[in-house]
Amino acid sequence: MKLYFKRFSALMLMTYVISAVSFAETYVRYEQNGKTSWGELKGETIHQLSNAPYLEGMATGLKVNQADVKMMAPVDPRDVYMTGFNYEDHIPEGQKTTPYPGLFMVPAGTLIGPDAEIIHPADSDFIGYEAETVIVIGKRADNVSVEDAADYIFGVTAGNDVSARDWIPADIQWFRGKGAKGFNSVGPVLQTGLDYKNLTLTARLNGEVRQNGNTSKMIHDFEKMVSYISKYFVLNPGDLIWSGTIGTSEQLKVGDVYEVEIDGVGVLRNTIIQGK
Amino acid sequence: MNIKTTVAGVIAALLINNAAFAERYVRYEEHGTVSWGELVDGVVYQLSSAPYHGGKRTGHTLNETDAKLKAPVDPNQSFMTAFNYRDHKLPGYEQDPTKRPGLFTVPVSSIVGPEDDLVRPAEAKNFHYEAEMVIVVGKRAENVSLEDSSDYIFGITIGNDGSERDWQASDIQWLRAKGSKNFNAVGPHLVTGLDYTDLDIEGRHNGVKSQGANSSGMIFDFNYMVHYISKYFVLEPGDVIWSGTMGDTGSMKPGDTYAITVEGVGTLENKLVQEK
Repeated sequence: MKLYFKRFSALMLMTYVISAVSFAETYVRYEQNGKTSWGELKGETIHQLSNAPYLEGMATGLKVNQADVKMMAPVDPRDVYMTGFNYEDHIPEGQKTTPYPGLFMVPAGTLIGPDAEIIHPADSDFIGYEAETVIVIGKRADNVSVEDAADYIFGVTAGNDVSARDWIPADIQWFRGKGAKGFNSVGPVLQTGLDYKNLTLTARLNGEVRQNGNTSKMIHDFEKMVSYISKYFVLNPGDLIWSGTIGTSEQLKVGDVYEVEIDGVGVLRNTIIQGK
Repeated sequence: MNIKTTVAGVIAALLINNAAFAERYVRYEEHGTVSWGELVDGVVYQLSSAPYHGGKRTGHTLNETDAKLKAPVDPNQSFMTAFNYRDHKLPGYEQDPTKRPGLFTVPVSSIVGPEDDLVRPAEAKNFHYEAEMVIVVGKRAENVSLEDSSDYIFGITIGNDGSERDWQASDIQWLRAKGSKNFNAVGPHLVTGLDYTDLDIEGRHNGVKSQGANSSGMIFDFNYMVHYISKYFVLEPGDVIWSGTMGDTGSMKPGDTYAITVEGVGTLENKLVQEK
């Protein structure tokens, strides 16, 4: 009887694992011969999709080896929402905070992918890293309750919200300091089926750990964020919401490599290059 | 041939030439479908796509009065400018706006058309009008010189950047105060061929003049804005840039109207309603 029970448990566990695996899919965007496509990544093979997965893209039948193409940011949003001061350990003394999310936006044109370089502008003296977790919206969200918000979250990726620390106090709003071109890397994959309320994030500067945390420590978790944002704005499929960063953000210099690793998503690695 | 005939002929030729250059575009809804159109003498000539994407007449026409006019813009990015007229000030902002444009962004879902209402959320108490001019970018602009920037400006329309002043003071960034859904009215037409550096603008609250300026009073004119924005961001065809507002703004109550007239463009008039 005991043996049967063990076998039964093992079977149940396997069924659970298989169902979880089939639910968890890995999507990428890639460029080949000058054309950008969505694809589903299985092992090291990309199966091309006709459209974004959250827009019901279907397999076209074309396959390509991941190593043979340039990986692009696995997102294609119009609106990119970011959050200031969403982890206690990232709130400096004396910083103004609000009981609701500290929202702002950057233009989608700022996004770069895992195979691109972060640009250090010539006219900034200090850019800093900010490792973050990023969610992608799966369907149009307008006035969604916190209870229903999970239905609107398609998947998770990693992001580095590079910020020009000298521009932020110099400008009236954070927009340029947070959203200039080449500042925000995203990737390497868009992963579904993850528990975005409990994801460990580790970030390394030239191989040395500089930031780490878990999304369970977000002051406003992603479901609250979707509900709050959808009260004031309309979220469309593909739009992004960034978690806010953790701990201390320090300087990135030309030639540095910054890596953001999230369990189940992988490592987003970018090199900093000099801009004009 | 007398001199009078010659002069009249030259003037007529100039007028015709000018008229051909100054075109008037609309976006409208018919049977649930939104299209671009060219407006000539009260007739809308449907276009195959946006005029800045080379849209051509499809052959379908309708009377202007039968078209429900939408905002005559379809951007992915909406760039706004703070404190771009010397006479517009807000308490708590002491920054010198003359150093560089006070840029920020709002999501395009905040935009409504000339026949729509502005909507004041239930919890909002201090919704202000802001009369502005809005230009539409005609082609991809990246690192454009000041000398070349006029080539990237397709046309001009009118905007009311509705702003919740209490939220603007309470929030960390202006996004919600400036960019909530149904806060930003744009229209009625998109007009090419105007000298956007020298146009009169007037705003009327319930018919009473409350704002007025000429675009020559902009601290950073639209040519400079395109140059500056394209240094840090990438502008795509259809993107919009707002001038910033002038003078003092006032609070609107539900039922109030705000009308903005820009020389050569027309009048954008919207009513404010209370969110249900």
